[in-house]
Parts: sequence; C-alpha cells; structure tokens
Amino acid sequence: MAENKNMRDGMKRRDFLKVLGVSGAGATLTGCSTEKVERLLPYVVGPDDITPGVSTWYTTVCGGCSAQCGMWVRTREGRAIKVEGNPNHPVSEGGLCAKGHATLQHLYHPDRFSGPMIREGGELQQVTWEEAESLLAARLGSTARAMLISGRMGPSLDALVDEFVEAIGGVRVGYDAVSDAPLAEAVRIAYGTAGLPRYDLENARYLLSFGNDFIETGSSPVAHNKGLARMSSVDAVGSKGRFVYLGPRLSLTGLNADEWIPIRPGSEAPVALAMAAVIAGDDSAAAGPYSNVLQAYTPQAAAQVSGVTEDAIFELAESFAAEAPSLALGPGVGAHHRGATAANIAVMILNHVAGNVGRTVFYDAAVNAATSSYADMEAAISAMGSGQVEVVMIHGANPAYSMPPQSGFTEAFAQVPFKVSFASAEDETSEMADLILPDRHFLEAWGDSSPLAGVTSIQQPVMQPVPHFDEIGELISDAMGSKQTGDVLLAVANRLSGEAVGATFYEYLRGRHQSTYDEVDGDFEDAWRQLLRIGVADTRREGSDALELQPPDVALSFDVPTLDAPGDLTLLVYPSPRFGAGEFSNSPWLQELPDPVSKIVWHSWLEMNPDTAETRGISEGDIVTVRSPHGSLEVPVWLYPGIREDVVALAMGGGHTAMGRYADGKGVNALTLIPSASEQPSGVLVTTATSVTVTATGEHRRLASIEGSSDQHDRLIAPAVALADLGRAGGDVHEEDTHGELKELQGVGGFVPVPAEEGAPTAFPLEGSRHGIYADAHEGPRWAMAIDLDKCTGCSACVTACQAENNVPWVGEAQILMGRDMNWVRIERFYEQVDATQAGDLDVRFLPMICQHCGNAPCETVCPVFATYHTPEGLNAQVYNRCVGTRYCANNCPYKVRVFNWYRYTDEIPEPLNWQWNPDVTVRDNGVMEKCSFCVQRIREVENRAALEGGREVRDHEVVPACEQSCPAEAIVFGNIRDPSTRVSQISSSERTYRVLEDLNTQPAVNYLKKVTFHEVAAGVHE
Amino acid sequence: MDVETNRRMARGAVPHPDVQTYDEVNRDVLRALETPGKGWWALLAVAASGVVLFFGAWGWQLYKGIGVSGLNSPVGWGVYITTFVFWVGIAHSGTLISAILFLFRSPWRQSIYRAAEAMTVFAVMTAGLFPLIHVGRLWHAYWLIPYPNSRFLWPNFKSPLVWDVFAITTYFTVSATFFYLGAVPDIAAARDRATGLRKKFYQVISLGWRGTDSQWHHFGKAYIFLAALATPLVLSVHSVVSWDFAMTIVPGWHSTIFAPYFVAGAIFSGVAMVITLVVPMRKIFGLEAYLTTKHFDAMAKLCLFTSLIVLYAYVCEFFLAWYSGEEIERTAFWNRLFGDYWWASWTMLTCNGLVPIMLWFRRIRHSIPALFVIAIFINIGMWFERYVIVVTSLHHEYEPFAWGIYRPSLTEMAILVGSFCWFGFWFLLFTRLIPPIAIAELKEVLPAPRRRQAKEAY
Repeated sequence: MAENKNMRDGMKRRDFLKVLGVSGAGATLTGCSTEKVERLLPYVVGPDDITPGVSTWYTTVCGGCSAQCGMWVRTREGRAIKVEGNPNHPVSEGGLCAKGHATLQHLYHPDRFSGPMIREGGELQQVTWEEAESLLAARLGSTARAMLISGRMGPSLDALVDEFVEAIGGVRVGYDAVSDAPLAEAVRIAYGTAGLPRYDLENARYLLSFGNDFIETGSSPVAHNKGLARMSSVDAVGSKGRFVYLGPRLSLTGLNADEWIPIRPGSEAPVALAMAAVIAGDDSAAAGPYSNVLQAYTPQAAAQVSGVTEDAIFELAESFAAEAPSLALGPGVGAHHRGATAANIAVMILNHVAGNVGRTVFYDAAVNAATSSYADMEAAISAMGSGQVEVVMIHGANPAYSMPPQSGFTEAFAQVPFKVSFASAEDETSEMADLILPDRHFLEAWGDSSPLAGVTSIQQPVMQPVPHFDEIGELISDAMGSKQTGDVLLAVANRLSGEAVGATFYEYLRGRHQSTYDEVDGDFEDAWRQLLRIGVADTRREGSDALELQPPDVALSFDVPTLDAPGDLTLLVYPSPRFGAGEFSNSPWLQELPDPVSKIVWHSWLEMNPDTAETRGISEGDIVTVRSPHGSLEVPVWLYPGIREDVVALAMGGGHTAMGRYADGKGVNALTLIPSASEQPSGVLVTTATSVTVTATGEHRRLASIEGSSDQHDRLIAPAVALADLGRAGGDVHEEDTHGELKELQGVGGFVPVPAEEGAPTAFPLEGSRHGIYADAHEGPRWAMAIDLDKCTGCSACVTACQAENNVPWVGEAQILMGRDMNWVRIERFYEQVDATQAGDLDVRFLPMICQHCGNAPCETVCPVFATYHTPEGLNAQVYNRCVGTRYCANNCPYKVRVFNWYRYTDEIPEPLNWQWNPDVTVRDNGVMEKCSFCVQRIREVENRAALEGGREVRDHEVVPACEQSCPAEAIVFGNIRDPSTRVSQISSSERTYRVLEDLNTQPAVNYLKKVTFHEVAAGVHE
Repeated sequence: MDVETNRRMARGAVPHPDVQTYDEVNRDVLRALETPGKGWWALLAVAASGVVLFFGAWGWQLYKGIGVSGLNSPVGWGVYITTFVFWVGIAHSGTLISAILFLFRSPWRQSIYRAAEAMTVFAVMTAGLFPLIHVGRLWHAYWLIPYPNSRFLWPNFKSPLVWDVFAITTYFTVSATFFYLGAVPDIAAARDRATGLRKKFYQVISLGWRGTDSQWHHFGKAYIFLAALATPLVLSVHSVVSWDFAMTIVPGWHSTIFAPYFVAGAIFSGVAMVITLVVPMRKIFGLEAYLTTKHFDAMAKLCLFTSLIVLYAYVCEFFLAWYSGEEIERTAFWNRLFGDYWWASWTMLTCNGLVPIMLWFRRIRHSIPALFVIAIFINIGMWFERYVIVVTSLHHEYEPFAWGIYRPSLTEMAILVGSFCWFGFWFLLFTRLIPPIAIAELKEVLPAPRRRQAKEAY
C-alpha cells in the first residue's frame, strides 16, 4: 500500500487525528481546515480518542438533494462507512432515503477527480491547486464577463458565492435540474410570499395529490413519506386518513393511494377549480379574487377535459370538504406541463376554499428547496452562444446532461473560451471544462443548511478527504486532491485582491453563524459545539397568520395546456425516484436498487398501459422507437396497469455519456424527446410537453426486473383488511376459508393445523422440539420484527440501507437478467386493484420480504453441514465459513430470501468503493449462501455494550437494524418479542398481525401487519 | 429335419441356442479383449475428448465460480442435480439384474449382467461427481463426511444430503465389489489366453484363481451373500436420492410417493440404458449368439412393466395435486404441464409414458433396432423427468414475486455431454479389459457336452 510510506510521518498522523475529534469534547475545531492534514494513515500507535473496532458517530447534513435531511455518519478507524437519518432532525426525523445512503458511494467513487486539472491540448493535465487557482484568478482578472452557474448550496456558501460573483463583476445563474419553481411562483402570485409552502401531511384527514410525487421526488421526500405513512395508516382508535391520487400515471406516491382518479395530463387545474367551486357553493367570495374563475369551471366542464365523471368530481369535492382538515398538493416535479403554475394556484384555491390554510398548509416562507428557473438558463445559453461570456464556472450542476439537447447548452457552452467546473467527479459538463477544481464530497467538507426557516444544521466533515492514487499507486500529493469550493473561491478572491492570507471557508462559515448568534443564549463556543454534536438548531416559531389570496399579477390560464405534436400518446418525463434527474446515476447501489414502481434495474423502460400495447401489437420487452418532434430514442416497453391508456412515461436519469463507469450507456436520456421550453410564468422546464409516436422496432429484450409475478395468486403473501372489518374478524383470510377442507379431515384423524398462538414467534420453539438445534433456544431474548404494511410505502430506502450495512455486493445487469440479485431485502409489489380507465379504489400492496428467521426453519434441517442453524436467541444464523454451497437451504426456503454468491462479486468492486465496507460484517466469498441476519452485528454490539455497562439488560429499541433505522415510514420495528413490554411485542399483538405462509408451520419471527383498505377486500379463491 | 436342428429345438428353452460348446464361449467372449477394430478406437477417441471437455468445463467453473452455470434464485438446482439423479437411476438396473435376478434364478441374466454391472459401477462413478460439481465450494465438500475433527463439528444427520453421501458411497462400494468378485473367474480365463503385459495385469487382478472346487465353493457363497447384500441397496439408494426432494417442503417435491416412484423410474431408465449399451456391443464384438432376442424380449418386458409404474406415479402426482385441494400444489402441477417448461414435461410424458406402449407388441420387442430407438427415447425421457421435477418445482414455488426462469448454460451442457463421455470412456475400457459376458455363468447354463454321433464326428 502506498499509505505505508506515510507512516514515518508522525506529525501528519497526529494532525489527522485532530480532525476526528471535531465533535469530541475538547478537541480542536479547526482541524479540518488546516491544509496540513490531507492523508489517511493506518494506526501504528493507537490514538487516544479512537478505539479500533468502536464506531465514532458524527452529525452532518445530507447533501444529496434539496431536502437536506439530517444525517448521522458512522465512521470506523477514520472512514465513513454508513450514513443514517438523524432522529433529532426536524425534517427527516431519523429517516433517510436510498439516495441518501448512496451518497457514500459518491464519496468513495473511483470516478472522482484526483485533483485540479487543466486542459492542455485536449487532454486534462493534473496540476497543483496553486497553479489552478492562479490560472482562474488570471482569467477572472482579465475579464468582467464571467458567469457562475450553480445548483443548490448551503446558505453560507451561497452567500460567499454571491459575494464572489459581485466582486468579480460577473453574473450568477441558479440552475436545478429538477425545480419546484411553479409552486414557488404560485405561492408568490397567490399569497405574495416567498419559498415553498410547508405541509402538515400527518394531521390531514384527507389527502389529495394532483400528480405530486411527494414521497419520491420534490422538496422533501423523507419528511413527506413519513407524513404520508402517519397520515394514511390506521391509528390506535381505528381511524385512517384517506389518500386520493389524481394523475395520468401512478408514481410510487400514487401506488400508495386508496383511490386513483386517472385524469388526463394537464387537467389538474379544471378539476381543482371545479372542486373548489363545489365546496364554495353559493359563497361567491370564498376564493377572493379568484371567485370569478370558479364560476368558469364547473364539474361538468372539468369532467369533460379530465376524462373522469362528473360524479367522481362531486364526490371528491364533498369528501374533501367533509373530512377536514384536508390537504391538496398541486402538480409536482414529475408533472410540469405548460400550465403548472396555474394548476398549483388552482390547488391553492382549493385548499383555501376548504379552509386548510394555516391547518395543513402553511405559507410562512418556510421551506428552502430547489426553485430555480429554467428560463434563466435559457438566457444564459443565449449569452454564452452569442459570445458575451468569457468565463463560465459551474458548481453543483450538470446542465450538459440535465438540459434537453434541444436547449443548445452544449453548443453554447463549447463556445465559451474558458470553462471551469467544480464537479468532484466526471460528468457530461466537466468533460467539456478547461479547468476542473474538484469540490469535496459533503462528508469531507464544511457547510450549513437551512431546510426550513428557523432550522439550522451544520454540515461538518466526518473524515479526511478520500486520498487518491495515481496509476502506479503513489498517493497524490497534498498540493492536489480535492478542495472545498468555498476555500477555492476565497483563495481566488485573495489572489485577485492581492491579499496574502485570507480566511478559510470554515472560518467564514463559523463567522456567519456567530454574527447571527445572540449571546444572551450563552457562550457561542458552547452553542456551536452543541450544534455540531446534535446536528441541528431549531428556532422555529409556531403559528402562521391566515393569509388572504392576492389577485394575480400575471395572466393565468387554467385550461388544459397544449402539447407540441398531435398524437394519441402523451409523454410524461419524470425524475426517477432513484436517480433524480440523473445526478445519482453513477451509484451501483441505486442502479441495482429495483425501481420502486417497475422493479427494473440498470436500464430504462417505457411505461405503457397493457391495453395500449395490445392494440398496437406490442408486448413487454419489445424495443420501440419513441419519436417526438424533438428527437427519438429506442427503449424497451414495460407494461404497467397504473398508467392511462393515452399516456406513456419515461424516467430521467438514464443515458449518461460521460458520468462514469456505472452510469454511462445505462438506459436512455428521456430529455432528448422533449423541447427546451419553459413554463410561464415560473420559467420551469416543461417536462410534459409533447405527444409521441411509438413504433415497434421488431427487436426484443428481457427486462432486468426482479419481479416474478405481480399477482399474489391468492396466496395471502400480503393480505389486507377493510377498515370497516377492523375490530371484527375479517380481512381476506382465513381459517374457515383456507382450512375448511382440511378441518373436515381432522374429524377422521387427518391434518391438524398448528393453532395460531403456537405458531407465534413467542411460542418458539414448539413443545417437543427441545432437542438438537433447538435444544438451548429457550433462554434470553427472541429477536423478532414487526412490519406494518399499512405504513410501508415501498420506497425501498431499507434495501439500500441494508446493502450499505451488510456489504451486500451489486452484481450488474447481466446477473440480474439471470435472476441473481443479491439484495437481502426484496420489496414485493402486488397489484390487487388497478384501473386506469375510471376513478375507483386502488389497491397495490408493498411487502418488504426478508429472512423470516423462522422458529421452525425449513432451511436449517436440510443444510448438511449446519452452515445455517438456530441461535439460542431465535436468529436463523448463516455461517459463511461453514457453507459448502449446496443451495439446498435456498430451495427449501418458501420465502426465497436466500441469495447465493455465484461469483466472488466483491472482486468487481474497485478501490476505493470498497472502503465503505462495514468492518463488522464478513465480506462473503464465492460459493456461499447469504441472507438477512437481522443485523446480528448490531445486536452483538449492543449486547456487548450492555455487558460492559454492568451487565445490564438490553433496552428496548436499543438494537436498531439498518432497515428500521432508515425506514422513513416507520413501518419496521425490531426487538425482543419474549418481553411483552417491548414495542415489537405490542405492535405484534394487533389484530392485523399475520405471518407470511404461516400455514407451512415455519413460525416466522417477522410479524406483518395487514394493510388496511377503505374498500372491501375481495376474498381469495378459496371457496 | 436334421439332427442339429432337432437338437436346437430341443434346447429351445435356453436363451442362446446357437452357442454349443464351452470352447466357443471362451473364444467368442475373449475375442472382445483382443486387438479392437477401428470402431472401438473411434468411439474411444470421442469419449476421451468428451472427458477432456468434461474436466475442462468443470475446471472453468472452479476457476470462475458456479456462476458459469445458469443457476439462479429461485432455481438453485438444475442440470447438475438432474444429471446426478439420472446417473444414479442408471446405476440401478445393473445390480438389479445381477443380484435380484440372480437370487430369483432368472434364466436370462447370464449374458447381460456383466455389462449391466459395469454400467452400474461407471454410472455411480459418474453420478458421484455431480454433487461435487454442483457445490459452490468443492474444496469444502468433504465436510459432508462425518470424520472426527478438532472442532467437534459433525454433519447434520437430519439433512438428506448427508444420507446421500452414505447411500451413494455404500452403493458404489458394494456394486464395485460385486462386479469385481463376479468377474474373477472370467479374468482368470482371460489370463490363461493372454500374453505379455496383459497377462501380468490379469495375473494380478485374477487373485490367483485356479478354478479349484474349494475356490468355486467360496466363490459361490461370497457371491450369494453379496447378492443378498446388494439387493436392499437397489431399493435404498434411489429411495434416499428421492428423499432429497421428498423431505423438503417444495410443492412438487414433497410427496410420499417419491421413493417407489424413483426406484421404478431408476430400473426403467437403467434397463433402457442396458439395451442402449448392449446393442452396439453385441454388434461390435459379434456376440449375436449370446445376446439373443430372448434377452431383449425380457428386458423390454421389464421396461414395459416399470414404465407402467412410472406412468402410474405421474398420474398419481397430478391426481393428488388436484385432490389435495391445496392451491399451491395444484398450481405447481398445472405449471408443470402448461407453464414455462411445458415442453420438458411433455417430452417426459411422451418418452416415458407413450413410447413404451409399443413394447406391448411382441414384434417390436423382438426387433433390436426398434428396441434400441425406444431405449434412447426412454433415456431422454428419464433425463427430462428429473429435469421437470427439479426445475419446474423450484422455478414457481410458494412466493410468486420470487418466481424465476432458469436457462442452462453452455458450461452445464458441456458437463452433461461430458458426463456421458466419461461414462462411455470407462465402459469402452471395460469391454476391452474384462470379459463383457460372464463366461463361467454362461457355461453353467449350456447343455453339457454329449458324445457326438459318429457321422458328425468323422
């Protein structure tokens, strides 16, 4: 290892260790900002404040998207190995999405730049920061025509950039590939306030989403996911909020609805206004300045343009008014058509009329999220194209990929004489740059965030920057490597101003916070430490004034917008729940995370209604040419009952050309099909812009999907119970139905089913089984899990969390096509009731399937070598070293949760991605079986800690597996079920509790709680 | 009508009327051990290259990982286990013919049992490789053997795979011993005619057989004891193999019918394989007088009988799946006939159920080419039977969302084909090294030589 050569350098090692004490008591806080400390070093002499084998945790802020969730980062021996949600953070409350987990892969990505580079003769040459900064200073010093294009950033960096741009006399353009601009503009027009509205999903009784995919994309997916789960799950008193989704396509959010009203794309405004009109009734002033608009939109007219019946709109309006407080969400980032702002205003009028303002929706300028205007970028492109810009700097954005090719960005950008990129890893934009000044990953850098007004978090570095090595394995020198953009800007500014030494960005940041700090609250130093330790300062004030609607200051049309081309299929282009607009595409975890809706990995697909496909003679997997007036592409078809027959949909995030090894060539770029058009008045990119023609190419491919069958075949894998049946025996089970015939047999000495109480995990092990591998399974805890399917939204955060925690490798598209996905958690998605032709009940069930840790496990008895066996604590253990690889256990597992290492998949993982591996978990070899372990390493860690702390008992909720920790919906609870006071015991005592395939007498330790539906649940075919 | 014809008619009861003298037997049978024809060499060349393919593919798999197969989740067992069960099944009829028919004093076993026994030994040698080929970590496969070790770790005696280890190794030991013991007098006969290096070889392996009364006495005792020992093994080994499936909870596997069903199927396929092997052997070595239509007729009847049992078992399985009322079981069997692998199931039903119906006809039983073709069909059908059981049951199991499809890879196909070559390689060597027909036993059933008529003598 090249690291070894640095071991002799004792001073550096000590400097390095300082950094780790940032949040530790008494450590110096300036460690990270010193330029001396740049290397990871192995321990030769153990440092005092780090015990090898014991994790150190830091708080920081997730830099993944504009939601800015709070994060806890677990480091081991100086490396970040796992990120988790910070439970103290008011936005995410401990949840974290799959993208958040995957930010770790960007930290250790092999495609990161190893240091600043200058393009010379077409080739990038590595240079020192000294050279790079002086080049930039020289260029900026010689021209005033500079432009800085930036994506979302924290308030301090944002302020610094503003100062910098002002100092150099340039212009600044904000650009977010996915922007909530129509919503922000709607708020401004309707209420005259800035920022995005804040929603209280949790306390709504009736939630209406007009094509707003709030749990997967948008301003705060984790918070909204949590809100939805809390709102729509049945509570202790048997009450449950209803969630209705209006839109042409069921997104992941839509799949969680109780009712789907498949309106035509773009018809949200007429429907919302018609509803508002019904609710307002005779009150002609209910909608203030918009009252005249209401008169124009009758349910009849709305029914005509939206494609749903008048009755459906009436019923909807009545329920919306009756079930107060209700909440309606306007078209989100996946539904930006040419009337997106007006549609959002229409939904605000609806909320206003229904009296939801100040109850479930707040316009207190609270939410800071991405709201930049695409129109600004269009102006920037024309400026670049006409030669008015000499220097362009791009930070936190990849417009060469994320703008439609029609926009001409690439051509205009190419004409700029000097292009600077702050990208930390290669992408389509930095590929064109003349100077690359790689920013640090957010886990290596200082920053701050304010996701909500009054909420402040500090993004602190949790480790030394990941070192980079050159081709022969030599450590890249200190003078190179990555550098925080804030420091770069300060250094360049110093050069321009001729000052010798300036502040670091850390000092700048801290200074800003100090300047706004009120000393009456105590010593700033203490407060600052506290902020770093807790991760968040919450100074929000309760209450919100009831606002009045303002008359619009721009012309608004609430009619259904037009599309570019006449055609019978409208194209929806939506941000991917996994990749966003493509900024996450280079993460193999996310590439291999089955899309929550389609369950497809590694490639793109065109969503098409099965009936549409049938009439066109297209079958699933057929590769079709999708052609719009703006471009065409070839993509395989995936048949989806959750999309209208006149709509097809494509996700963003595919078809990268220069983003790195895991993104390039994977899928297609949906943006090639849409025009470069901005919506008025918000200026957002219009994504629902055009009709397309779809023609079969005659080619076919198998989809890389993990889905076997989306039909339960009446097997009650994921049963449900109607709300009305709660409290009574009911649901689509059970004894009487399924065992009728068998019970007859009992009369003649036949089959005797195991009584339910004996099959419960508490009964483990069964009487008479106290021998052999169950001999000592009678003492201590019995670890068990409860998964509430009424809460689970299928978001799949747990899948990636598990992958990160348990060193689960990714296997690539070819292996998935062979049926070899390795994930320990499989989110199953079953369609029960999906009708794209009319408004009606929707019933789609999600079920996270993991090892059930059966009390009477079929896998254990068949293993010839005891590689899988039962621990005294009821865990179904897998001893990798003992496994011979007969795969007999997997055959005999009815849940099919065992996955096999067909190759040594970890060999494929390049340095330094493997630095993320959890040292507490074995990296599995070729030829062995593996599966969910209930995070046994976490159980042991807690048990050991309890033993060290005077041999106390393990407390409830002290052991939290990775999936439970991550779950934004709070659907997963883990604990000792032998103790009746634990949460898992109490939740499992619900009448909704069942165990999957319990008729097999496997006695699973995972208790599922049935989903609760409003409609009656159809019984199985068991007559 | 001449005397000779009369004599032949009088001896009509014996299976090989054209064989007259003891000397003839020695001459005809031992001729096979002499310089072989080009046909034999060609076959050996094919077999040897297949063996290279076999080990090459296996080596490739060891180098790369078991992933070079088409196996996946949920289909963790595929062509390898199919072929394992197939070869174990083949291994059946040898011992059946040599041991059970010996105990029952069946009149037609003498000419074929040596070849059948050799087939058994080589088939077990082939079958035994497959569990090794199929495990993920071959280098740890010895953990399935109970041996004292410092970790006090024993195999899981509840696991049918451990039973398999015992069943297969026991069967191999006994059948190899039986085969070798029965061949000792004939090896001695070969020794007496051989010269040079070959003679040395036979001298060693004939264990000093001189044909004394005392030796024959001990030989007879030992033979009948071994026959008695081997007989239950015929039934046990395939029962144990069937329990690999029956002891699980997989729909389509979990069935009490499996042991008799597998044993019948094994005999069925084994006899078919004997026919497949003996027909060319008879041709190549000119043994037509020793392997007559009577032998083939008897084997065909055995095939017919076992095919009926197997067909009955198929019908039973489908009936019981329906009759059980268990939706999952029903779906599994419906899927077997009409699911993704319908072609495999229908191949199985056609080859094992329909084609053997022709054996009801005496003319077909007496037509060696027809029998040969039918036997090939049965071999194919029985391979597919195991494929159907293994793959269709696994690919649509309890959990619908985890259903999957398995497609055998080229490596698996190479190993499948290679296994036939490996088997054939040993069988070809056998025909050149050990008298392929039991000389001594055959002589026992020849009519004792009588004085010839004077006219004939002079």
